[in-house]
Amino acid sequence: MEQLIRIEIPNLWLLLPELVVLITGFALFSLELLYKRLNHALAISVSLVGYLLAFLLLLFNWGIEGETFYGLYKRDEFSNLMQAFMLILTMALLGFNYLYYKHRRSLYGEFYYILSFALIGGMFLVSSYNLVVLYVALEAVSIAFYILTALLRSDFNSKEGAFKYLMLGGLSIALASYGAGFMYLYSGSLDLRYILTHVGENHYFLVLGLVLFLIGFAIKIGAVPFHFWLPDAYQGAPTPITAYMASVGKLAFFAPLVRIMPLVQEHFAYAWITTASIISALTMLYGNLTALVQKDVKRLLAYSSIAHSGYIMAGIAVAEVIGLKAVIYFLIAYSLMGFGSFMVLALLERAEGWENRLEQFSGMRFSAPWLAFSFMIMLLALLGVPPTVGFVGKALVFMSLSFERLWWLALVMIIATGISTGYYLRITVLMFMKEGEEGQHHIAVSTLEKSLIVILSLALVLLGALPIILWNFVSPSAENLFMR
Amino acid sequence: MEGFPLASVSMLLPLVGSVLIVFAREEFSKWIAVLFSGLVFVLSLLSLFFFDFSKADRFQFVEKYPLIPELNLSLHLGFDGLSYLMYILTTLVSLVALLWSTRDHQISHRLKEYYIWFLLTETFLVGVFASLDLMVFYVFYELTLVPMFFVIGIWGYKLRLYSAYKFFIYIFVSSLLLLLGIVSLAVQHYRQFSKFSFNYLDLINNQYDLTFEVFMFLLFLIAFAVKTPIVPFHTWLPDAHGEAPTAGSVVLAAVLLKMGTYALLRFNIGLFPEASVFLMPIMVLWGIFSIVFASWFTISQSNVKRFVAYSSVSHMGFVVTGMFLLNAEGLRASITEMFAHGLTSSALFMMAGFIYNRLHSFNMQALRGSIKFMPLFAVLVAITGFSSMGLPGGSSFWGKFLTIVGAREYTLLLAFLVIVGAFFSAVYVLYLLKTLYLDTKEESRLVHFTDLRGFKLTAFLLVVFPMFIVGFLPFLFFAFYDPYIDSLLKYLLSRVAGG
Repeated sequence: MEQLIRIEIPNLWLLLPELVVLITGFALFSLELLYKRLNHALAISVSLVGYLLAFLLLLFNWGIEGETFYGLYKRDEFSNLMQAFMLILTMALLGFNYLYYKHRRSLYGEFYYILSFALIGGMFLVSSYNLVVLYVALEAVSIAFYILTALLRSDFNSKEGAFKYLMLGGLSIALASYGAGFMYLYSGSLDLRYILTHVGENHYFLVLGLVLFLIGFAIKIGAVPFHFWLPDAYQGAPTPITAYMASVGKLAFFAPLVRIMPLVQEHFAYAWITTASIISALTMLYGNLTALVQKDVKRLLAYSSIAHSGYIMAGIAVAEVIGLKAVIYFLIAYSLMGFGSFMVLALLERAEGWENRLEQFSGMRFSAPWLAFSFMIMLLALLGVPPTVGFVGKALVFMSLSFERLWWLALVMIIATGISTGYYLRITVLMFMKEGEEGQHHIAVSTLEKSLIVILSLALVLLGALPIILWNFVSPSAENLFMR
Repeated sequence: MEGFPLASVSMLLPLVGSVLIVFAREEFSKWIAVLFSGLVFVLSLLSLFFFDFSKADRFQFVEKYPLIPELNLSLHLGFDGLSYLMYILTTLVSLVALLWSTRDHQISHRLKEYYIWFLLTETFLVGVFASLDLMVFYVFYELTLVPMFFVIGIWGYKLRLYSAYKFFIYIFVSSLLLLLGIVSLAVQHYRQFSKFSFNYLDLINNQYDLTFEVFMFLLFLIAFAVKTPIVPFHTWLPDAHGEAPTAGSVVLAAVLLKMGTYALLRFNIGLFPEASVFLMPIMVLWGIFSIVFASWFTISQSNVKRFVAYSSVSHMGFVVTGMFLLNAEGLRASITEMFAHGLTSSALFMMAGFIYNRLHSFNMQALRGSIKFMPLFAVLVAITGFSSMGLPGGSSFWGKFLTIVGAREYTLLLAFLVIVGAFFSAVYVLYLLKTLYLDTKEESRLVHFTDLRGFKLTAFLLVVFPMFIVGFLPFLFFAFYDPYIDSLLKYLLSRVAGG
C-alpha cells in the first residue's frame, strides 16, 4: 500500500531535452496554424534551434542519470547516446529536405512538426523500461512515420508504401500490446525489469508475452519473416524520410530490444538465443539474397537495411555484455551508413530523369566525382571493409558470436556478407569503371548538402579508423545497462 | 635509430605522396609517386644499418599507439627478421612497379588515381608486414584489396571487370573466416587471462585443446590458402594477374601473394603449433600437389601472363611445402623462396608487359622469337628464367635445393616427391625460354623493336641484380631470418613437447 500513496515530484531536469523538443514541436505546429503559407526557412530555423538546444542540454548534462515519473522514465548513458545520435541525424535531415521536397513539388508545413513528434517518440522509446511508455512512444514514432511516408501526396508509391506500413504497423502495435498484456498477467507489473526478473507461476504467460512483444518489434525493425512492409515503405517514402527511418527509426525500434537483452535470465536464455539466432540468420540471408537481384538502388538499399537488422539481431542473440556493446556500436554505425546512403539517393533524385536504376550509376565518377567517392565509402562501410565503422561493427558482432560459441551463426553471417559483396561492388564498379551517358547527373547541390555528405562519409572512416571515439561512449553505456 | 618509427614513417611517406598527387597537376603525379616510393626504398636500405641482425628473432623499431585500450587493441608495429625482409621486398617492388608504369600501354588515362592507388597499396603493404596486432594486420590485409580492385578494374585488359570482381570476392569472403578466427583468439585470451587482446605477443600464450586449435588453424588456413594461393583455391589468381596492368601484376605476384605465405608462417605456425605439427603431413603433401598441378596448368597456357601467373602458384607450392616441413632447412627454403619469387615474378611480368607493348598480344605463339632483336632484354629475361627455374647461382636455387634437403630429413620418398615438383617447374620455364628464343618468326615485324632503356631498364635491373645476390650470397639473406627460425623451432618444440 505504501507505494500507492507515495507522491513524487517529477524530476523534470532529467526530461529537459525531450521537453525542449516537445516545445519545438508545438511551436512549429502553432506557426503552421498562424501562417497560411509557412515560411520554410523560419520552420527550419525554429527546428534547428530547438534540436540544437536539446542536443546541448544533453551534452552538458551527460553524467546525469536517474528515473522519474515513478520509474516510467529513465535517463542513463544508453538513452543519452541514442538521443544524441537521433538529434544529430534529425538536424542533418533538415539540411537536406527542403530542396528535395521543392524539387518534388511537395512542400508541406506539417513535415516539421510531425518530424519533431517522431523524434520525441524515438527519444522516449530509448529511455524507458515501462511497457505503457514504450507502447505510447512506439505509437508516436509509428504514426509520425506513416504520415511522413505518405508526404509525397501526388505520388502513388508514397501512398501505397504508407498504407502497407500502416497495416503492418497496426499489426505490430497490436501484437506488442497483446504481449504486454500477458507479461502484466504474469508479473502484475508493467516494468520490464521487474517482469523479467520475477519468478512467478504460469511461466508460459511470460514466454508468450515476450514472444508476442518481440514479434511486434521484429515487424518494426523489418526482421524476416515480418519484413514485408519494409521494402515498399522504404521505396515509396520520400527519400530523406527513408534515410530517417533507416537511421533514427532503427535506433528507436531496436532500443527496447537492447534494454531487454541484459535482462535475459538463465531460465529462458536458451529460448532467447535460439529465437534471436534463427530470426537473425533468416534476416541476413533473405535481405542479402533479395538485394542481390534488385535493379532499383533504393529498393536494394532497403533490402540491405533488412540484412543489417539481421546482423544487429545476431548481436542481440548473445545475451552477454560484449554482445550488447557490439549491438550498440553496430546500431549507431548502421544509422550513419543508412542515413548517408539514402541521402545520396535523395540528392541524385534531383537529376533530370533519375529513377534510381542501377545502370544510371554508370560513370558517376566523371559526372559527380565527390558524390561518387562519398557513396563508395558508404557502400564499402555497409559491406564492412576496414577501416570503416561498418567493419568495426561486424568485427564486434563476430567477437560476441565467438563468445557465445555460436559458430553456425557466424558462418551464416560470413556467407550473407559474401553475398552482399556482389551488390555493393556492382554499384562501385558501375560508378568507377563504366562510362556513363553524356551530361548525366547535373544536380544543383547546395554547399550545405555537399558538406554534410562529405562530413558523413569522412565520419564513417574516422570512427572506423579510430574506434575508441565511439567505443568510449558505447562501452560504459552497455555496462551500465547490464548493471541496470 | 632503435626508437625510430620506421614502420609509421614508411607508411606515411606514400600517404603524403598520394595526398600531394590529389592537388598536383596530372603530369607531375608520376614523378611524385616515384619520388615518394623511392624515398621509402632508400629509407628501408638505410635502416639496414640499424637493424640488429643478431637479435633478428625479436621485434625492432617497435611502436605502439593504443586504439581501444579496453580490448588491448593497438597499432603495434615493429619488424623482426622475417617481416623486415618482406618490408624490404615491398619497398623494392613498389618502386619497381611505379618505374615500370611510365609509358605503359595500359596506363594512359586517369593517371592521378592510378598513382594514388599504388602509393596507398605501398602504405597498406608495409602495414601488413609491420603489424604485431592481429586486428590491425587484418585491417591492412583487407585494405590492400581496395586499390588492387580499382587497378585491375580500371586499367586492366579486356576481362578486367570480371577479374576485379572475382579477385575481391574471393579474398574478401575468405578473409571473413580469418576475422572470425582473430576475434575468437581474443575471446580465448579473455577466457584464460581475463582480458581481451589482439596482440600477437599475447596470443602466442593462449592454450587450446587440439580440436579447437585445429578449427582455428583451418579458419586462418582457408583465408591464407586463397591469398597464397594453393591449388584448388587459386582460380582467382590467373584471372587477376592475366587482366591486371603490368605493374599491378608485379605487385600482386611479388608482394600480395607473400602476405598469404608470410601469414601462414607467422600466424598458423606461430599461433597454432600443435595443430601445425598435427596437420604437417597433409600440408606438405598439399604443397607438393600444388606444385605439380600448377606446373601442368602452366604448360597448358597459351597466354603468357596467365603462364607466369600459374607458375607463381607452383612457386608458392614450394614455399608452403618448405614451411610445413617444420625444420630449419625447410623454413630457410621457404623464406628464401618467398623473396626470390618476388624478384623473378616481377621480372617475368615485366617481360610479358614489355612484349605486349610492342606486339599487342599475350599469345605464346605470337611471341615466338620476339626478343631476338632486343639483346639486353633477352639477356635479362634469360637470367630471370634460369633463376626462376632453380639453376645454381639463381635466386630460386636455394629455395628448391633446401626444400629437398629439408624433405630428405624425413624420408627419401618425400624428397623424391619434391624433386618431381622441381622437375616440372623446370619444364615450364624451359618451354617459355624455348618459345621466346628458339622458335622462329617472320623478322620484318620485329626488327624495329627497341631495347630496354630508361625507367624500364632501371626497373628490370632493380630486380635482376638482387637475384644474383640471393643466388651467390644466400648467407646474407639467412642472416635476416636464421635467429627467427631458431627461436620458432625452439618454441614449437617446447609447445609440442609441453603439450
